[in-house]
Amino acid sequence: MLHSLFAPLLVALALQAPPQASSNADQIGMCLSCHGEPGMAVTLPSGEARSLAVDRGAFARSVHGGKLACTDCHSGMAEIPHQARPFKTRREFTIAYNEACKRCHFANYSKTLDSVHQGAVVRGDVTAPVCVDCHGSHDITPPDRPRTRISQTCAACHEGVSNTYARSVHGRALTADNNADVPTCTDCHRAHDVAGPHAPGWRLRSPELCGACHASEPMMKKYGISTEVMRTYVADFHGMTASLQKKREVEGGAVVALCIDCHGVHDIMKADEKGSAVMQANLLRTCQRCHPGATQNFSSAWLSHYEPTFDKAPMVYAVRVGYLVLIPFMIGGLVLQILLHLWRVVVNR
Amino acid sequence: MSDYVVRFTLRQRIEHFSVMTLFTILVITGLPQKFFDSAWAEAIILGLGGIDRIRWVHRAAGILFTGFTALHLTLLVGSVLTGTGSLSLVPTRRDFEDAIQQLRYYLGAADAPARFDRFDYRQKFEYWGLVFGAVIVIATGVVLLFPLAATRFLPGEIVPASKLAHGNEGLMAFLVVIVWHIYNAHLSPDVFPFDKTIFSGRISVERMHHEHPLEYERIKAQEE
Repeated sequence: MLHSLFAPLLVALALQAPPQASSNADQIGMCLSCHGEPGMAVTLPSGEARSLAVDRGAFARSVHGGKLACTDCHSGMAEIPHQARPFKTRREFTIAYNEACKRCHFANYSKTLDSVHQGAVVRGDVTAPVCVDCHGSHDITPPDRPRTRISQTCAACHEGVSNTYARSVHGRALTADNNADVPTCTDCHRAHDVAGPHAPGWRLRSPELCGACHASEPMMKKYGISTEVMRTYVADFHGMTASLQKKREVEGGAVVALCIDCHGVHDIMKADEKGSAVMQANLLRTCQRCHPGATQNFSSAWLSHYEPTFDKAPMVYAVRVGYLVLIPFMIGGLVLQILLHLWRVVVNR
Repeated sequence: MSDYVVRFTLRQRIEHFSVMTLFTILVITGLPQKFFDSAWAEAIILGLGGIDRIRWVHRAAGILFTGFTALHLTLLVGSVLTGTGSLSLVPTRRDFEDAIQQLRYYLGAADAPARFDRFDYRQKFEYWGLVFGAVIVIATGVVLLFPLAATRFLPGEIVPASKLAHGNEGLMAFLVVIVWHIYNAHLSPDVFPFDKTIFSGRISVERMHHEHPLEYERIKAQEE
């Protein structure tokens, strides 16, 4: 509580020194005697107005309400009037106060250092989001309640991709049915150590993101989706290559189709839905993105995640059954003849 | 008659050596692709520099193998057409009789083994097994290497069917070589530890007499 000592000490002269338990409330009351005025603002050297007002009710309802005092975050406010601050712009002000969060939320703060947003900060992009841009400041509430709020938060900057997502099978289920299973932005991109397709290894790891749900039997059962999609993908040329390239942990190598290359990313549709890149009528065009010159027959080389049964792929089925019979018959016959020969050699001795 | 007979020409010995080398490369780079999800296969693939590299090596070796096979079959057809070739590897009714005779002998139902000419039925089986196997892996390999061209006039299902057939045919060839060829060329008590004939080209008169009596007698008759 060291950081909250200064203000109560100062206030003690004017007010009767309160017991420690209620010191937060008293301190907040004192700060809000000025900062509770809705119109309180300063004009920064940039010419921007910066509100200095705090909504008492919003703070009380926030996750920090009743837990933190003003000076827990706003240090160096012991003197009244406060010392002049060096901020030239609103953004400088916001970025400087970002440092306050890490004193308590160090684990999440250090995760943000690995984020794509921090990468933008390092490159000098002052618009890259810091804690308060996503969480708010005095009015912080749990960011995933309701769950739709997550994508709305990201949409503040990523509007285009957010609109695309909202039209996808996942986004529609989230907004229309308040579905708790479909991925929101942070399920794939993570919340604090936010990463995107430019992160090393992201592309080859992306099937794991899909597989986290689509290989889960209990979850997929609810929607009548087969969990064999992952296995049938890996068993095929693209999936085998991708899984081996990933194990090698070396970037590069021949580019092969991953889940997202056929199904899309933010715009994923149901496979049989109009507009889906993988629906039968669009499949050839999807193949041609990587295989220019592909003909209609070529796209049917992919068995659409089906097992090669007699009904779905009679030619493949016939080859499988044929060799299943031929190989044991052939090798068994040869081994038998070897054993007979050896027996004859032994008997002749 | 000297104590050995020249059984294989230099060209035949080079052909065997080439096929042996290419077959080994194709098996090492091919079988792990068929069984890529097992630990041993993954170790081989990653140990040899990753899937893209072993696939490149497999394709290069496959193209060479295709070239050797085409050359061999062209020369074979050419020599038969011009009457200079030998038909000693063509299977005949006699081979089936020999096989039955040999099995009867092994089982104790016949007193003597079959008497063979230049190539016995087992050698003919292996030669034609290699030729037919080569035709299958080459045809399916071409489909896998050129799927766009193949599906221009064949149904798409030819691609996954070729993939399955290519891997299974390769596996069967590998097993036949490991079981049958290694036995007949190395482990059989008749030749243990190593039948060098296909490398030196020479076979001893004693073995000729024992393993290819009909050919031995014919050569002897010609010499006299």
